[in-house]
Order: sequence, then structure tokens, then C-alpha cells
Amino acid sequence: MVTVASQQSQYLDRASSSALVDVVDLILDKGLVIDVYVRVSLVGIEILTIDARIVVASVDTYLRFAEATNRLDLARSGTETKGLPGLMDEMQESGGRKKTKGALEGVKDTVSDLLQGDESDEDEAGEREETRRRESGDRPRHRRSSSRERER
Amino acid sequence: MTEDERACYVYGVVPEERSDDAVRDLGAVGDPDATVTLVRHGGQAAVVSEVTLDKPLGTPEDLRAHARVLDSLAAKASPVLPFRFGTVVRGITAVTDELLAEGHDDFERALDRLRGRSQFTLRARYVQDAVLREVLTEQPEAVRLREELQGLPEEAGYDQRIQLGQLVMDAIAAKRAVDALEVDRRLGPCALGSVSTEPSSAEGLVNASFLVEDERRTAFEQAAEELAKHWSGRVRIRLLGPLAPYDFVADAMSPAKEGD
Repeated sequence: MVTVASQQSQYLDRASSSALVDVVDLILDKGLVIDVYVRVSLVGIEILTIDARIVVASVDTYLRFAEATNRLDLARSGTETKGLPGLMDEMQESGGRKKTKGALEGVKDTVSDLLQGDESDEDEAGEREETRRRESGDRPRHRRSSSRERER
Repeated sequence: MTEDERACYVYGVVPEERSDDAVRDLGAVGDPDATVTLVRHGGQAAVVSEVTLDKPLGTPEDLRAHARVLDSLAAKASPVLPFRFGTVVRGITAVTDELLAEGHDDFERALDRLRGRSQFTLRARYVQDAVLREVLTEQPEAVRLREELQGLPEEAGYDQRIQLGQLVMDAIAAKRAVDALEVDRRLGPCALGSVSTEPSSAEGLVNASFLVEDERRTAFEQAAEELAKHWSGRVRIRLLGPLAPYDFVADAMSPAKEGD
């Protein structure tokens, strides 16, 4: 009976996991604690926990979400999800983008000028990004920025 | 290696009729070559393996081994009382004469309360692109910031990127609050109890553990499957279990709580 139920999972992921973050979430700080004659040794555990939870709600996460949102290709939304976002993209293509193009390029030039000669800011941003990537190691992602190339 | 440098790692407690076969071939905490066995006393059995005291526990493999032993037992039959990771006692004699003898009544109460019940843990996580599309559909300001940023070189627009990221995360947090309630609404009725925690990643929706009776298990699994279908393409749902009742064992041991 139980086996049949498992076989019927088409949408649900039933695979057991040995990913460290899953195991940590599952067992750490859980379970019975017994008396004083017990020796508890937890070297390394606190570090693991911090690694797993540090990614939430920081500037780095904001930047990551902004990056993901910017990367999102609205034109490629699958047929089943092609609703308003797809329409919005078409509207942009047909009209909006042309009208704003000049203005945006103007802004881009101005900001580029302002940032000229201020390389340290950019390096710092690159380092932040690298730190973030290491911390959220569950989803490595390629970046196209030159600061990354340089590190290799 | 002298006798003093060896000790007993304790995974948990099960009824004494459980067979050693369920755990014998599993890797042990601290020493992959050690054998996991059951030490019986007074109708109960402690699940143990030998460890040396010359090195600390806590490697990723140690954590996995702890969970693997307990979950292998839980997969075959309940009840299992999981101990906290890192529980070590002096030796076999301490397991029988101190741990099991002194803890007998408390363990018995918890075993009774957890008989025929297992933990299922659900991990729901947003599909990133799908949830971002939703946010862009619902938040004109996000669309505006995105358009603004797409005209800028990568090193520019730092403030806008922070603003966009924050706006997107806030929008996802609002969705999370609503969707976590939906998880509970659909699965709660099939379970005796539930505990949910903040997800550990920004795309996480909820981590929720449910204590499920054996006879409700099929209904619970079907409800989870239906929810996964309902959110297909939008939320990825993983269901782990049956597991040892990590999130419910402390309550079951508590003398204050009356069995139901």
C-alpha cells in the first residue's frame, strides 16, 4: 500500500537527501537531550549552521535577486505561463523600448562617467559577489564580469 | 587503544523487539568501520556504536550517519526516539545500567505516544524564474527598476539593484506568508501535529514537519502530491519520510503532555 503511494508521486520529489544542508536542517538541535554523564562534542557544527542560514536577508541577497530579475528573459516564458509578463514584453518591444532608449543611454553614459576612476568600488562589489557565491554554494552561477575572469 | 578511550555513541531508543539487521550494515558516526548495534534492557533497546574519544565528532559524514541510522529504523517501523547528535556515554554498561534503567519510564511514555507515528518533512521552494515572473506581473515598480537597470552597465545602478532586490524579496516574503498557510491548510488535517521553520534560503517557501499516523499516511502523501501538482512549475516540493520524529520526540517525552 505504502509502496504504491510512493510510486504515484509524479509532482512530488520523494528522493531522500544526503545534502549536508538538508541533514543539518533535519537533525541539528533536534532530538532528546539526556543527562550529565553524556559527553557532547560538537566541533564544527556551529559553523555549518551559520553557513546554511546566512544567505537570507542581506545586501548580497538583494543583489542576487536583482541580478536574477534582470536576467529573466520574459520573452521565453513557457506557453503555459505566458500571460501578462509575455504581453508586457511584447509591448516593450513594439513601442516602449524605442521611446525610452535614448533617455536610458543618456543615463548610462552619465553614470559611467561618474564611475570612471573609481575602480575600488567595482572591485568591492566583485568581492561581495564572490563571498556570496561561496556562502550559498548550493547554486553556483556563472558571472560574466571581468573581475571574475581576472581571478582565474 | 585503551578501554578508557572508547565510548558508546547513542543514536536513540527503540523497542527491544527491533532487529539489529536494520542498522548493522550502516556506517557509524565517528568510525565508518564500527558496527551499529542494539543494546537491550527492560523492554527497550538503545541504538549504539563504538567511538574513540581521540577526535571530535561533527564532520558532515558524522551528521549523515546519525540521520541515516535513525531514518533507516523509522522507515521500517515506528516508534524511534532520536537522540540529539553528539550523544556519547562511557560504555555499554552505562547504556544499560544508567541510560536505559534510569530513563525507562520516560522512554516508555514517549515510545507509547509515538507508536504507529512517523515524521514527514516537507521542503517547499519557489522555482526562481516562475516566482520572479509573478512579482514582475504584480509589481509595476519592479518592472520600472528592471527597465532602468537594463540600460546601465553592470558596475552602475548599485542603488537601483539594491532597491529592486529588496522589493522582490519583500514581495516573495508576502507570498511566503500566504503560501505557508496553504501548506498547513492542505496537510494539517492529515497529521497529528506540525512544526514549521523559516526556510534557510531566500527562495525557500517553508520547511514543515508533520507527525503522521500510519493509517493516515496514504492520505497525507496524496494531499502532498496534490499540492505539488497544484503548484507545479511554481513551487518545488520535496517530501522526506517516514523519518525519525526529530521535531516531536521532545514533546512526547514531556511528562506534562497527556497522551491522546
